[in-house]
Amino acid sequence: MQKDPYFGYLLILPLLVWALLTLIYPLVETIRLSVLDVGYVGTPGAFAGVSNYVRILAGGEFWRTLRVSVTWTALNVAFQVLLALVAALVLNQEFRGHEFVRTWIILPWLFPSIVLATMGKWVLDPTLGVVNYLLLSSGLVERPISFLGSPGIALYAVTAVNVWRWFPFFTVIILAALQTIPRELGEAADMDGAGYFARLWHVELPTISEVLKVVILIASLWAINIFDAIWLLTRGGPIYKTTTLTILIYYKAFQEYRISQAATISLVMFVILLAYGVGYLRRVMKEEVAISA
Amino acid sequence: MRTVKTIGRYLSVAAVLAVVMLPMYWVVICSFKTVPELTSPTPTFWPKTFTLEHYTRLFEQVPFARYFLNSVYVALAATGITLVLASLAAYSVYRCRYRGRELLYRTFISIYIFPRVLLIIPLYVAFTGLGIIDTLLALVIVNVTIVAPFSVWMLRAFFVGVPLELEDAALVDGASRLQVLVRVFLPLSAPGLAALALNSFLMCWTEYLFAVAFLISDTNKTLPVGMAHFLQQYFIDWGLLMSSSVIIAIPPILLFGLAGRWFIKGLTAGAIK
Repeated sequence: MQKDPYFGYLLILPLLVWALLTLIYPLVETIRLSVLDVGYVGTPGAFAGVSNYVRILAGGEFWRTLRVSVTWTALNVAFQVLLALVAALVLNQEFRGHEFVRTWIILPWLFPSIVLATMGKWVLDPTLGVVNYLLLSSGLVERPISFLGSPGIALYAVTAVNVWRWFPFFTVIILAALQTIPRELGEAADMDGAGYFARLWHVELPTISEVLKVVILIASLWAINIFDAIWLLTRGGPIYKTTTLTILIYYKAFQEYRISQAATISLVMFVILLAYGVGYLRRVMKEEVAISA
Repeated sequence: MRTVKTIGRYLSVAAVLAVVMLPMYWVVICSFKTVPELTSPTPTFWPKTFTLEHYTRLFEQVPFARYFLNSVYVALAATGITLVLASLAAYSVYRCRYRGRELLYRTFISIYIFPRVLLIIPLYVAFTGLGIIDTLLALVIVNVTIVAPFSVWMLRAFFVGVPLELEDAALVDGASRLQVLVRVFLPLSAPGLAALALNSFLMCWTEYLFAVAFLISDTNKTLPVGMAHFLQQYFIDWGLLMSSSVIIAIPPILLFGLAGRWFIKGLTAGAIK
């Protein structure tokens, strides 16, 4: 450890200044905008007090959107973590080429969301999509399904596409945790005649439970912040069924030109996320994720 | 019994690979199909005739090369700045001792709870005021902001392990602290810097939200924003989408091939400790 204190401060200063200008300043500015009545970006607005907050919290739009956000996040976290766990357990076996596969499984995560949206729209298309073709030709459905255009299905369809991109990322993390299990531990369980699920319950899961908790936290914070995958696939439709808070904020600011309302919603969202993050760390995690040196 | 187990093992691995690979396979082969074959209601699982028309059209009908260069510029510039800011900050947090270090570190990590979308509006106003809205510079700035906290976190796996004696020895020899950092410490942490650079490049390369909000003129667009134009609400140019999807995926794959190992180490060591 270097004990010269000024050197430590000096080194962190550039990033601190950067964060101050591009994170703290926007936060303060957002708070200012939320008590004004500003429409178009960059125009002045009269003082509005808490009327934006009242309007947002009293209207149905915000709560409907929050509900979609919570559903979206829960669905994404559940399927991402579950699939990642299954994939990690599968790839943790010994097989030819395992090193290569365990690294490159992350591939879908490397692609921009526009590729994801292209893929999703293309395979799910009602007339040209391969999924509908397979469903029709196997006789499972009689008419093509508009996955992204049906109010009852769209959120699940976007989730499926998004999960495909994200689960490999968490697979890699869970795999690394599984690798820390000493070989003898697994062998001992096998010697005792433990079945596959008994071994999973007593050996694998306890070892990776802390990592799973981190993964769930990261997955939920990332899922709720996702904009591009949803926007490119459905633009929040049909009839707001995929409009999450992020989509609503963007829509309010850049399509409806209600900057102050958008700022208000983003602050409310910030407070919710902060409460969730802090609550999760306190209640669920034994130790802080932010491990110090 | 043994062979049954082996077969089961390989089947399960094949199933996982199929889930991951099949959608990619589908896009890649479709990018080589002719328009009639592409838009036929009966899909073919291997192109009947191969064509490069969607690839040539990219460069003839749209400023695709321009988008590509813009993306490269933004990703490289933001990565360069992040590399400097994050490695200095990480050295400070993980290798120096001073009051408030813990607090600073936690602040950086909790920055991740910021809804990104919250940044768009005030930064849009500020960049308009500074006259840099609709420039790549605006995008470079905001990309650094997004990437930096995670970068600091990622360097932990590489910075904590370097033995102190090496630095102490250099200090005794009369080198300044900054010289020790730049000449002794950073070269030893090269894999960490490579992991950071890869992560930063990937995040900038895939960034869409700020790019679509800040870039207006066609000549300034990055790849994801330019590509989104093929995906209009009422008209979708499938051929261009397929071919550009293939091309945009190549740089990340190449870079991951170079530094993926370290990237995964940085990623997993942080989560596992």
